[in-house]
Amino acid sequence: MSLKDLISPFYVWQRAFEKPYTQRRPLEERPGADRYRGFHMNVLEECVGCGTCETICQNHAIDMVKVEGLEPKPGDSGLRPKFDYGRCCWCALCVDICTTRSLRLTNHYAWITEDPTDFNFVAGADNMSWNGHEKGYRRDDEYNLLCLDRVEMDMLAPEEGLKSFDEVMKGYTEEQAKIEADRCVECGICVATCPAHMSVPDYIKSIREGDYEKGLRILYETNPFSATCGRICTHRCEEVCPVGVQGDPLAIRWLKRAIVDRIPLERYREILGDEVVENSKTVAIVGAGPGGMSAAYYLRRQGYAVTVFEAQERAGGMLRYGVPSYRLPDDQLDKDIEYIRSLGVEVRFKTRIGKDVQFSELMDQYDAVFVSVGLNVPSKLRVKGEEHPRVLSGLQVLDDVASGKDPGVGKRVAVIGGGNVAMDAARVSRRMGAEVTILYRRRIEDMPADPEEIHESQAEGCKIVIQAIPVEVKDAADANQVSIVWGEATMVADDKGGRPRPVLQDGAVMHEETYDSIISAIGQGGDLDFIPGEYRDQIEFKWGKFVPSEYQRTTLKKLFVGGDIANNTADAISAIEDGHHAARGIHKLLSGELVA
Amino acid sequence: MNSVDEILDFAIEREQAASDFYTNLAEKATSAWMKDMLLSFSQEELRHKGKLKSVKKGEKLLSSQQKVQDIKLGDYLVDVEPQGDLTLQDAMIVAMKREKAAYRLYSDLAQKVDDAEMKDLFLGLAQEEAKHKLYFETQYDDQILRDN
Repeated sequence: MSLKDLISPFYVWQRAFEKPYTQRRPLEERPGADRYRGFHMNVLEECVGCGTCETICQNHAIDMVKVEGLEPKPGDSGLRPKFDYGRCCWCALCVDICTTRSLRLTNHYAWITEDPTDFNFVAGADNMSWNGHEKGYRRDDEYNLLCLDRVEMDMLAPEEGLKSFDEVMKGYTEEQAKIEADRCVECGICVATCPAHMSVPDYIKSIREGDYEKGLRILYETNPFSATCGRICTHRCEEVCPVGVQGDPLAIRWLKRAIVDRIPLERYREILGDEVVENSKTVAIVGAGPGGMSAAYYLRRQGYAVTVFEAQERAGGMLRYGVPSYRLPDDQLDKDIEYIRSLGVEVRFKTRIGKDVQFSELMDQYDAVFVSVGLNVPSKLRVKGEEHPRVLSGLQVLDDVASGKDPGVGKRVAVIGGGNVAMDAARVSRRMGAEVTILYRRRIEDMPADPEEIHESQAEGCKIVIQAIPVEVKDAADANQVSIVWGEATMVADDKGGRPRPVLQDGAVMHEETYDSIISAIGQGGDLDFIPGEYRDQIEFKWGKFVPSEYQRTTLKKLFVGGDIANNTADAISAIEDGHHAARGIHKLLSGELVA
Repeated sequence: MNSVDEILDFAIEREQAASDFYTNLAEKATSAWMKDMLLSFSQEELRHKGKLKSVKKGEKLLSSQQKVQDIKLGDYLVDVEPQGDLTLQDAMIVAMKREKAAYRLYSDLAQKVDDAEMKDLFLGLAQEEAKHKLYFETQYDDQILRDN
């Protein structure tokens, strides 16, 4: 070894006292380019926590996490993306796929910290210096990873639809269903909003994969009325679909129908594999509507001997007698009901509880009772002159049509109301050749009717008059006609933050019009007179409805209730879930898991 | 009625009478669940009575200046005869009309007195009744006119 080799390591020490060549950080911060892909920023109020960013991230750099102060609500999971900058490669796919465009990249790129855990942060929630900055990367408007346009479904033209009671919507072809299914981002926000918590992304995926049998099995896990709900569900799931923020929400309802349309009833048993192993317990169900028959299905699968008591000649409840066949054909409702009956559910038709069979007999003779009788007593207008013979009930008109009778509405009809019963009464009147005017107290956006029903009513020629409050019914000059006096309402903000209320102010403009008939469809109530006092005294009611507790159970331990008579949503899917939920409760009760 | 206490006693008696009215009606109810509903109306009137008793002990009444929203729903509905077989709809009409009558009574009495304190008290009582009327009208709007 030379002397130089020996002492050269010590040369480095002379450098120790020189000015360093490296810099601790740029002396002057240089801003990133305007569209630089820097650090993430999320607008928390716009984000709905769909998690599509997490799904698309190839490096698993995103986790959806709970954020303090943000609670889950319909249409918002309450979660927000947390980024791991040890993994992120700033590809910006998360920004490109973001359903709400709340996720962005700022052009900030310099970040020095002594704690490496800082590089794990929740964009928008954690306090970062770049929050709120405008410059940086955004998805270009010219391209989109999401398919925003819904596949339209073929339907009868309005003028064709008016010629018959044939179904208006024609269903998806297999190819259309696959294209529509392909738009789903599988976020599952719809699952939380659906009253029955149907596994929507899973059955949509089965359509993408062309596996309709699997799809049917998924549907029946939570809903034995899938042919029905595939047509007339209130589809709250679609209202919260994040794809709908920038475009059309997934046609979830139509996709459900696409599965059921492809499988004949004869194959259901084989596909669903429902095997009934009898147990010795019995359950009585009052009402063969969607709530009662849903409970019957899930109880029968558990082996219970189920007897359904139905006052009408056919099963289906309001779906049969309140929804016209152009929206829900009889054979499709029958498909759902017949499968349930095929498992051995006994339905005693034309048997009214309180008249043909006493409620006490059910309570004495069965191990559990489920009541789901619906709301079938129409509310009155309660204005002067209402007893006029040309004032008809919307429910009666629909019942007549469903039973093949002519309700005799005449050629010029006023329908009062803004719900589905009103829309259907109007549309059947149009099909019977009447000129129809719908008078509604509030505005179109306040109507409880499905938006499609409102749109189709208008397309079929029904005239909608908003903010019209009926105040009196009068005799017309022609004894076969009737006059209605209505006033123009002013919408007034609700003091407690509810929806605006229509008020007939002093001096409001009044109108008097003459029609062949006035169809009243302002709402319905229930009839619980079949429950004797000794039971009634032990049950909690509010505003004429049952108030059930967990598992739809009442304070009478073996009595469970559900459907419109026990909830405030008054739609088929809620009744179906009530029936399913009650079936779980009854099973727990009769297997000793609930206190008897 | 010459003093604030006498006016309040009068109002308290009226609330008790209203409570008794619903209790009597509940006894005649033939409908299975209407009895409960009418008894809840009766309880509501007793709550109003309790409020007035508190006022007598010094609690503040609604300000006579405070404007209670009037959605005028009861104005165009027909009168309903209170009888045993009332429906929910009719029971609510009976209730809102009774509250409206009470509102008018106190408003009229306020017009007839000159004493500023008593006038203010009557107007305050009228506002309380207007609030009760609004309660039944909004419930009617939400529970009966559901358009389902």
